[in-house]
Amino acid sequence: MDLGDSVLDHLRQVAALPDLAGTHYELECEIGRGGMGVVYAARDRELDRRVALKVLEVALAGEAQLIAKLEHPAVVPIYEAGTLPDGRAFYAMKLVTGLRLDGYVAGLASLAKRLEVIRRVGEALAFAHARGFIHRDLKPQNVMVGEFGEVYVMDWGVDAVAGTPGFRAPDARLDRRSDIYALGGLLQFLLPVPPPPALQAIAAKAMSADPAARYSDVAAFLLDMERFQEGLAVEAWAEPWWHRLRRYGARNAVLLWLLAAYAAVKFLLFFLRNL
Amino acid sequence: MDTAIGGAYHRFPSTRLSLVEAAATGLPNEALERVIALYWKPVYRFIRLKFRKDNEDAKDLTQGFFTTALERDFFARFDPGKASFRTYLRMAVERFAQNQYAAANRQKRGGDIEFEPVDERAATTESPEQAFEREWQRQLFALSLDDLRAHCEECGKQLHYRIFEAYDLAEGERPSYADLAARHGIPETAVTNHLAWARRTLRGFVTDRVRGTTSGPRELNEEMRRVWI
Repeated sequence: MDLGDSVLDHLRQVAALPDLAGTHYELECEIGRGGMGVVYAARDRELDRRVALKVLEVALAGEAQLIAKLEHPAVVPIYEAGTLPDGRAFYAMKLVTGLRLDGYVAGLASLAKRLEVIRRVGEALAFAHARGFIHRDLKPQNVMVGEFGEVYVMDWGVDAVAGTPGFRAPDARLDRRSDIYALGGLLQFLLPVPPPPALQAIAAKAMSADPAARYSDVAAFLLDMERFQEGLAVEAWAEPWWHRLRRYGARNAVLLWLLAAYAAVKFLLFFLRNL
Repeated sequence: MDTAIGGAYHRFPSTRLSLVEAAATGLPNEALERVIALYWKPVYRFIRLKFRKDNEDAKDLTQGFFTTALERDFFARFDPGKASFRTYLRMAVERFAQNQYAAANRQKRGGDIEFEPVDERAATTESPEQAFEREWQRQLFALSLDDLRAHCEECGKQLHYRIFEAYDLAEGERPSYADLAARHGIPETAVTNHLAWARRTLRGFVTDRVRGTTSGPRELNEEMRRVWI
């Protein structure tokens, strides 16, 4: 039998559709694919709400259980996990409406808002690391920014995922430092052009080829980013003296203005007294 | 440019052994038969595009490759730790075609001549490697459709297949479910049920075909991703 391209593509699509007979979900449409499966929008007939349904194309156990253990504001909550009549595993989760980070960054989000996204992603990572989980495939496509600014880290990793070029650490074995590398990649991705040197240095340190040269944990990474936001020197960058002076000036602008005003008044009084 | 060699394959063991399992149980010929059924056309197409061979030369080279594979310890040299079976096979084809070309030129001119991988891609934007992958998917589904049709005939579900064929295999505009229901004198819900059954069963046959030409669960997972995602 000879199959034309259009029939082949159609077959690949329809034979992958989940058969939801016997479940309380109604399929609506495909909303994304990647990693280990395809995500569909579906309606939960019992609770009369829309959900995201991820159908795993490969025989991997534990993805839903892993995510269900990560009860965190930046991790999409899992409602239910099950098996389709054809043996594929699926799980239902909150349907997040918003933009993927790569779409969000194409908009006009300020640097402060972008750093806020990184902070929330970092907090979710730190939470997962504290419980012994790693993400394995952190990248802009796996971060969603909701319509009210909420941030969700999606597609928590399973063994078969080995990261995405540009965000994947060159490590032989993935661990928490590999996630820190990817977090640095995410920061790099969000930086404006030209990037602030201190933030550039933070991203570069997180993305060091040698895992030992990266931040020891996500908290250290976030702390350095916080230092930048507060106008302090960051650990990742030995800044030149003129930059330090300028930063000191920006950080103590009010004090410097007061001193200048005081000096001006003193000079004026001195001038008037000697008239 | 189509070829009849490497045609339909109707045998359907419910769960095929993986390549490694097949080799271990002393059934390399059965495994090779599966491989030839699935890969004859992809190899032929790859050779045509990569080495700019005409129809007959490409057929001869393809046939030569599989004959050589039959004679040599083709499976024994496959190391699942290094590459997928598909990549291993494609690279083996490339080496084989290059060796054949070099040997032919030595005979003609008495010396080594650099092989020129030329692209005959004027008519297509696909690389030979992409064409190989696409042809693999095409053949995988074609063989699985043969399996599905045979299965439907065996278990008296010819109507399921006819509805599936009319809807999912339509090249142009698809008939509506109402049209199909009226044509076969069944309710529309039966049409959707028959379609769902046929698609689910097709999926099972595809999985089984892939399992039969992979080295184990890890490679199977990787190939399943390539087929469906």
